[in-house]
Amino acid sequence: MIGGDPLSPARTPLLSLSEVSVRFGPRAALRAVDLEVRSGEFVALTGPNGSGKTTLLRVALGLLPPTEGKAKLHGDPVTGLSIPERALRVAWLPQEERPMDDVSVEDYVLYGRNPHLRPFSGETPTDRDISHAAIESVGLSDRRDSGVLELSGGERQRVLLARALAQETRLLLLDEPTAHLDIAFQLDLLHRVRRLCEDGTHAAVAALHDLNLAARFADRVVVLSRGRLVVDGPPRDVLSEELFRTVWGVSGELRVDARTGIPFLLPRLTAETTASRRAAGTHLAGPIHVVGGGGAAAPIFQALSEDGFTLSASPLNLLDTDAQAADELGIPYPAEVPFAPLGETVRARHRELLERAVAIVVAPFAVGPSNVANLEDLRPYVPAVPAYILSADTIRGRDFSGGDATRATEALVGQGAVGVEGIAEVRKLLRALVPELGSAPRAGASPVGPPRATPQGEDR
Amino acid sequence: MALVLFSPLVGSVAIPPVTVARIVAHQLTGGLFPANPCAPQPINSSACQALIEIVWDARLPAMVLAILVGAALAFAGGTLQGVFRNPLADPFLLGISAGATVGAALIFLLAIGTANANLLVPLFAFIGALATAGVILLAAQSRRATTETLLLTGVAMNSVLSATLLVLLIYNPLGNLQVTYWLLGGLYGATWGRDGIVFAGLAVGAVFLLLDARRLNVIQLGPEVAQSLGTDPRRSRDRLVLLASFVTAFAVAFAGIIGFVGLIAPHVARRLVGFDYRRVLPVAAAVGAAFLLLAHDLSQLVIPSTELPVGIFTAFVGTPFFIYLLYRRRPTSAEGTG
Repeated sequence: MIGGDPLSPARTPLLSLSEVSVRFGPRAALRAVDLEVRSGEFVALTGPNGSGKTTLLRVALGLLPPTEGKAKLHGDPVTGLSIPERALRVAWLPQEERPMDDVSVEDYVLYGRNPHLRPFSGETPTDRDISHAAIESVGLSDRRDSGVLELSGGERQRVLLARALAQETRLLLLDEPTAHLDIAFQLDLLHRVRRLCEDGTHAAVAALHDLNLAARFADRVVVLSRGRLVVDGPPRDVLSEELFRTVWGVSGELRVDARTGIPFLLPRLTAETTASRRAAGTHLAGPIHVVGGGGAAAPIFQALSEDGFTLSASPLNLLDTDAQAADELGIPYPAEVPFAPLGETVRARHRELLERAVAIVVAPFAVGPSNVANLEDLRPYVPAVPAYILSADTIRGRDFSGGDATRATEALVGQGAVGVEGIAEVRKLLRALVPELGSAPRAGASPVGPPRATPQGEDR
Repeated sequence: MALVLFSPLVGSVAIPPVTVARIVAHQLTGGLFPANPCAPQPINSSACQALIEIVWDARLPAMVLAILVGAALAFAGGTLQGVFRNPLADPFLLGISAGATVGAALIFLLAIGTANANLLVPLFAFIGALATAGVILLAAQSRRATTETLLLTGVAMNSVLSATLLVLLIYNPLGNLQVTYWLLGGLYGATWGRDGIVFAGLAVGAVFLLLDARRLNVIQLGPEVAQSLGTDPRRSRDRLVLLASFVTAFAVAFAGIIGFVGLIAPHVARRLVGFDYRRVLPVAAAVGAAFLLLAHDLSQLVIPSTELPVGIFTAFVGTPFFIYLLYRRRPTSAEGTG
């Protein structure tokens, strides 16, 4: 009855965009986007920040005329429809709506009836019934008389959903509806929208940051990247590690929820970005060797990777936190089976890595009889290779090797290893090793930023 | 109600309540009852005629005008606060009243048709008000418009227009006192005929505003949400500002610039009935009418045997209220992209 059923055949898409481009001055916010949404569909619109999700929704709402292309609501061009006609075809849940006045929930939802009222008439009992039903469907019946300013963020979001429902349009556009909600409300709200679409006459398009949430609830996932539609299809067909990497620049692992068969992506640390920086070239002739274990080295791996240094690591036991971090960041290390003392092959491999290292960083790790060799193996290389020991003064508290670790540390310091306070200081000292950064910073090479753009020097 | 009963009694000439009542009855019954309204008092018929004139031709029209003007300003203020989504909007503060006054004063400057002045004055006042409102709408349209922009535009308009008015006052070509009334804001000029004109203007404006009040509610949600709910924010805004200017023009035409009624009354109304403009506007009108009537009465009582212009009174009450609103304003309230 609403949205032009008698006018258009049932198969007419509720929303169709063809070749829609939007430019703000020189910047293209949408580039030739094609999209059709038919009744019964729940389409998740996702993509990184600034990819054009909100712009797309605003075009569909008629808030923003497309620079090129056509946007149609149930067969008719959006720009050709009057504002009240549009409001009968599409309802909107804005990303952020801050009510000014403490209007009651009931009245706020009743605003959704606005497009149905004749110019100079008030709400009828039918309008009230419809609003009450909408309030009930979002589970807020007991808060009908509360002021909207008293509500929690989640409740307010549900009020907005109720208002959109009261509008009785067949198409619902939601802009980050879950942005300010905790996980329970996120699931609840998306579940309600999904149920609405399942009746076959409604359709919803929701801009969602969270790709996994999108995959969990939507029939179709549409991914935008820099204004371009890059992917459109059912979650299990379109989600891929490749997509995650190319669109978001994050490497991840695709897994499948065993109960639902729905794929989800598990992001890794920022290995991808560090790898690309490494590819740009480093300024040091060799890797920086980090000695650690038990998780003490992970933050150092992370920090130095971000700075663009190539790293290697001391022998680590498989399943050790540091070993996992090294795996994720692609840092080579000699692996030992869990809980075993370091074997001779592993130590030989350690020495190989040390041969190539241009600096050594010792993490404040707990040292036991099984890994004290990691400290002892350093001795032949210090001070030829500059060594930095984090929190050397706390070694006694971390020494579970009966004093061997303390003796090894003291020996290293005696040989010229430098004791440092924290990661920030290590970063600073390591940057000083880079000739371009240490003395006279060149134009183009930021003294604080990671060494990236400058070409490889003959630093020896 | 008590104010309505009390108002005819106050003025620079002391007239006993009984006499006032008798005069009113006398006039309402076309002189039939009581035949001699001044009866218990030992005064002759010409003195009695003077009393009749004071009560019937001066006090009562002024009282009615106070009610009408108070209601009209409250309607205009409530509407402007809604349109600009700003609790500080008011026809006086935004310079619309001053614009109306300058528009009306043009009649005297151009020395056109004094015969129809009673009708021409509101018309020219409307033109002046509309021109001022147009400038403010342009200012409000700018992307960076905030409460401050809006109010400062109003202040700027106000001072330009007040200066213009002073020029007109000094070079008053017809020596007409009305420009002075306008400047001070007074109800001296009230006659039954003028009351009728103001009533007609207010009635027309009020009907349209009340019919449009539902849109005013939706506009509170912001222009984009309003649009998504089927209300054209720009068109509604233009129409509502036009209507507010219209009722302001009628208020200003014969009572001059009376400030702060349009600011205070809607706030009181919101306290009483909530945020639905369909209720806020009429209640504000009642509050504005009562407030201006009270101000009118007090202005005649404060200094015995002198009438202070009522605008001075409302300014004394209104300014502290304005400052209070300015400080109480929540910083989070969405402002002025209206």
